[in-house]
Amino acid sequence: MSSYALGATHVDDTFAEAFPMRYARVLITAATDAWALEAARSMTGFATSVIGCKCEAAIERALAVDETPDGRPGIAVLLFAMDREGVGKRVLERVGQSVMTCPTTACFDGLPGADRTAALGGSLRYFGDGFQASKVIGGQRFWRIPVMEGEFLVSESVGIGRGVGGGNLVIGAGDEDAGLSAAQSAADAMRGEGIALPFPGGIVRSGSKVGALTSKSMPASTNHQMAPTLRAQVDDSLVPDGVGALFEIVIDGVSEEAVRESMRRGLHAAAAAGATHVTAANFGGKLGEFHFPLDALRDPP
Amino acid sequence: MTMTLTLRTEPPARVLAAPLAPERLCGCSASAVAALEIRCGGDTVAVGDLFEVSGGGIEVDELVLAGDLRRFDGIGAGMSRGEIEVRGDAGAWAGADMSGGVLRILGDAGARLGAAYPGARVGMTGGEIVVTGDAGEEAGAGMRRGLVAVGGNTASGAGLRMLAGTVIALGSIGAEAGLGNKRGSLVSRESVRPLPSYARSTRFRPPALRLQLLRVRALGLVVGDELVNGSWARWSGDRTELSRGEILMFENGEERT
Repeated sequence: MSSYALGATHVDDTFAEAFPMRYARVLITAATDAWALEAARSMTGFATSVIGCKCEAAIERALAVDETPDGRPGIAVLLFAMDREGVGKRVLERVGQSVMTCPTTACFDGLPGADRTAALGGSLRYFGDGFQASKVIGGQRFWRIPVMEGEFLVSESVGIGRGVGGGNLVIGAGDEDAGLSAAQSAADAMRGEGIALPFPGGIVRSGSKVGALTSKSMPASTNHQMAPTLRAQVDDSLVPDGVGALFEIVIDGVSEEAVRESMRRGLHAAAAAGATHVTAANFGGKLGEFHFPLDALRDPP
Repeated sequence: MTMTLTLRTEPPARVLAAPLAPERLCGCSASAVAALEIRCGGDTVAVGDLFEVSGGGIEVDELVLAGDLRRFDGIGAGMSRGEIEVRGDAGAWAGADMSGGVLRILGDAGARLGAAYPGARVGMTGGEIVVTGDAGEEAGAGMRRGLVAVGGNTASGAGLRMLAGTVIALGSIGAEAGLGNKRGSLVSRESVRPLPSYARSTRFRPPALRLQLLRVRALGLVVGDELVNGSWARWSGDRTELSRGEILMFENGEERT
């Protein structure tokens, strides 16, 4: 495969392949930063891949008190699924189990004015067992659900937007430490407005391929071509010479542009942090609607 | 676009000002509005005889009424959109039967602010009313939805037979508040003696009230951080109705036992 050099980093002339998804942005506020973060972490737990978790979710960013509807510290969470119905179900489940249960929190729609919506408080209110009450404040309806602490306040619905899921970078270096360090630098650079990195710390060490060599029923299995320990064992290894460890960063974003610019930041951060090799995962270009050629990311952010 | 009506002479009798709403003046020139006849006592009077009219046009979304309008009843009554700003005191029935928009009174308001008309079960069904001064008797009576926020005090009978919605008094909510209240919220910075049909539930930080107070602040009232962040006593009532209404009283000190 042809490549170009970004400093000492070889960048494959390939592309990441991504898919249209739907997403919601949920704003979680609490009495303190710490409680908002607890709720957000709980809500985004076990949400790494739609294949196994039915959704992908991550903390988008922390919100200052002047950025939240109720003037308290908050966290913006992005949750992606394949369709509007899926987003609605997952948001409802996760807000119900992870946000409503968390002390001092309130939960707001982060996409007000969106064309499409899914019920949130409008469904969650039934937990109030008839004691719930609604308030229309500033043109938006909220539900007050009485709980043991006091009240949980939640927006009637959440807006649903069209996003892009599955952008990615695969970052390699001579050994695990160097590779992980470069990947962490990339992940730090890639986070930001409109971006979710759904895997732990934003990084995947077990990238997968579609299907399996040994089973017809498995939807995915290890990407053996990118496993350094199999380099000498399989005939189709794609692990470059000199690379001892590879890490993938999967990116979901609110737009094609957001994903592209996140990849650009990640590519240049990885190169600056010592990655020897950067490539991207795709399916031959036949499955995903969105293609992100690494060649188009040469210019620094 | 803003239309401004500046009072130049006191009317000889009480004036029914309900026709003076942005939605009813859309497309009217200043001269057309000046020629409009409105009720004044048992007679009618041209708007231009009482006000100096300026502005206006196809899209009137804000109406400014300037002057001492205590003899003008029904300002903003029945309005559904747009914004009215009264730069002075307003008479009775301001915002009565309102369903949307914002009515801002930079002064005092008379009786039955945002209330239901006599014989009507339902009053205000939406919109926001902000009064920087005090409001008269029975503010928010029969209210079903919406917000009435008063920078000072409301006189007796606020929230009479309220169905839902919120009446906030940043001073005192007054005597006999919430009589016959079903699901409405009454908010009082100062402690008042609730009706016997209300019972104290607890003291807490109501998250919805926090949002409402921030909204009221955005609409122009001075709301201190101690109110936004503080604790409020919740009294539930009216027990003669559903007992799903509430009076919230600011209580940032030690909890009563």
